[in-house]
Amino acid sequence: MNFIVDAIAFILDPANWAGETGVGARLSQHLFITFLSVLIAAAIAVPLGLLIGHTGRARGAIIGITGAARALPTFGVMTLFVLIGIQFGAGLSLTPVIVVLVVLAIPPLLAGSYSGVEAVDRQTVDAARAQGMTEWQILTQVELPLALPLLVGGLRSATLQVVATATIAAYVAQGGLGRYLIEGIQTRDYLRAVVGAVLVAALALLLDGLLAALQRLVVPRGVSRGSARTKRSSPGTATRSSGTLEATRTPVTEG
Amino acid sequence: MAWLWNNLDLVLGLTLDHIRLSAIPILLGFAASLPLGWVATRVPWLRGVLLTVFNVVYTIPALALFVVLPGILGTKVLDELNVLVAMTLYATAMMLRGTLDAFGSVSGDVLQSATAQGYSSASRFWTVQLPLAGPVLLANLRVVSVSTVSLLSVAALVGSGGLGRLFTAGYSRSFIDEIVVGIVFILLLALLFDALLVLAGRLVLPWARRAKAPTSIPFVKVR
Amino acid sequence: MFSRTLKRTAIGALSLGVGAVLLAGCTSGDPLAEESGDTAGGSITIGNQNFGESEILAQIYGQVLAANGYDVSYEPGIGSRETFVIALQDGSIDLIPDYAGNALIYADPEATATSAADVEAALPAALESLGLAVTAAAPGEDSDALVVTPEYAEANGLTTIGDLAGIPGVTLGANTEFETRWREGLGETYGFGDFAFKAIDDYGGPGTLADLLAGNIQVADIYTTTPSIAENDLVVLEDDQDLFAAQNIVPLLNADILTDDLAALLDEVSALITTDVLLDLNAQFAGDDKPSAADVATEWLTAQGLL
Repeated sequence: MNFIVDAIAFILDPANWAGETGVGARLSQHLFITFLSVLIAAAIAVPLGLLIGHTGRARGAIIGITGAARALPTFGVMTLFVLIGIQFGAGLSLTPVIVVLVVLAIPPLLAGSYSGVEAVDRQTVDAARAQGMTEWQILTQVELPLALPLLVGGLRSATLQVVATATIAAYVAQGGLGRYLIEGIQTRDYLRAVVGAVLVAALALLLDGLLAALQRLVVPRGVSRGSARTKRSSPGTATRSSGTLEATRTPVTEG
Repeated sequence: MAWLWNNLDLVLGLTLDHIRLSAIPILLGFAASLPLGWVATRVPWLRGVLLTVFNVVYTIPALALFVVLPGILGTKVLDELNVLVAMTLYATAMMLRGTLDAFGSVSGDVLQSATAQGYSSASRFWTVQLPLAGPVLLANLRVVSVSTVSLLSVAALVGSGGLGRLFTAGYSRSFIDEIVVGIVFILLLALLFDALLVLAGRLVLPWARRAKAPTSIPFVKVR
Repeated sequence: MFSRTLKRTAIGALSLGVGAVLLAGCTSGDPLAEESGDTAGGSITIGNQNFGESEILAQIYGQVLAANGYDVSYEPGIGSRETFVIALQDGSIDLIPDYAGNALIYADPEATATSAADVEAALPAALESLGLAVTAAAPGEDSDALVVTPEYAEANGLTTIGDLAGIPGVTLGANTEFETRWREGLGETYGFGDFAFKAIDDYGGPGTLADLLAGNIQVADIYTTTPSIAENDLVVLEDDQDLFAAQNIVPLLNADILTDDLAALLDEVSALITTDVLLDLNAQFAGDDKPSAADVATEWLTAQGLL
């Protein structure tokens, strides 16, 4: 336990925050990598997921892809992409890392989006249609607001995964908080490694907490959470409803 | 893929290590989640506490946990026990929420009628709740299994055995073949574990299969 | 529809199958890794670091020992010196090919020996407190070297490491441990201590080279026997203050397993390892047909008549 105390002391010492290899610089690198990846992934996955949820098509394929993606070892894929990136003559750049992280973040965002739309009460959608709303209006003014909690849930999962996996970026010659971990492990400097561990864990918990709060905030007024009675998917057997939850629940964060 | 044939014994050795280091946490995680899940359904305030604690564990990135545990457990960073404990914690965390959902999905009417028939609490758990929760538990176990097999590769960064070593070695030597072999073998292992679980499920929960047949009557419908 | 007995048999068989797979996993892994440095039966575990030359050298020593009655097993990819010294001390490995100068600095940070002869003389005493020993050093050397592209050298008039002092915006790429080990020394000896550092953990391999050629880094640590230096006309900055001491190949072992027989065998091999041999073997290993380290070693040993 001593190490954790020492690590916290290290982190709280302002001298360690300054400089190119200080906590400040590494923290910003880590946040940059995380936000960039999640942003790009969201730009791809959210519209796609909303569309799938709204039209109800391709759902099976998406579940299959999500399942397969879970089996891919991110560490392996990242080192692979980095080595492939070398062949393109740009040296060891950040691009392959971002590509891998985007691919990692897409499944939970996709799942969050489509399950969010699916969870909307069918009667509400029918009522909207009966009022003469166009499909686009239904999607943006009815389904999207109601889907937000699950969507943000997907965002939360995705962010968590990316924050954790971004620590591995440090192994492939990039920056971020993972540098403390890699340096500590390779030079057998346990304190340094624990500093990295504490920083990454704290960041993950902080972001998770913020997004959890956001998840509660986006529940539209007048809707009690999780009260969707008639789901668009087939009548919920226990397996099926768990499947929907599964979509947003994530495989363990790597890194 | 000449490299693979030349180094088949190395790869197979790493695969066996990988099997051992992932199968044990999967099984232990599953086993641990059952009593924890049962306790959580019976003691409401404990449910919140357990979920929160394991949520925190689950949120901590794997590499961080691998590094911090030795200090707490008193092992060395490169010790295998370290990796096993961390992986089991993750597996338990992943299973727990699923287990709670599974037990929660068993209809209260069924439980009450079981009690009415004279089942004790314990035998009710083993012969009624558990089997009925079975399909959901299995679905979760399959997810946990795949995730564990995949996640273990990160442990190679702290020197653990397993197929993750092909990634560290492959990267150090800029050897793409080696990394590809690692990815493929991990995928194969994940598939193998999944197939074994599905098979086990069919044997242990034969009624679940029947329920999926389109023309069959849904199994439990207590009116 | 399964009858009860059939179902139970199937479950039993399945459990046995799973159990067998698990057990197979339990008995895999290097059995010698758990043994302490016991060589009563002449068994030896040889480690190597995650780069070609280290693996080739491990194979060279290992194959000779195996041909002379030792029971040899290998533990590849052991990691940096900080890690493998611990592995030697606790018996996870018994021997690893190391580099004299760096071994000396690790054992005795205050050491000042820089020539091959001085370093070799200083090693045994320095290593004693660590419980480690060395046999005779080989004539061949492979040293850390700070290299730059010919264009960069010309543009900045660089011939020695000291010439880098004062040049702004220099990023140096090397393995993670390079920074911990050398930044201070580079600062003190050459006034070149505040470079930006990019950790590329491939021991001066293709990633480091690619980054150097792409301009992401200006200086790289590429070991002197790496073929890429000659292939790309890279300029090796002169270490005229001898910061990097002589780095002759030397077998580093756990002192407990050192016997005269073992030493004699190792010395015989070491005497034949020259710098040219290292360059040649590395070139073969990196060549197009990608032979294994074992094959490269076997071929060379056979040609030397040691196998």
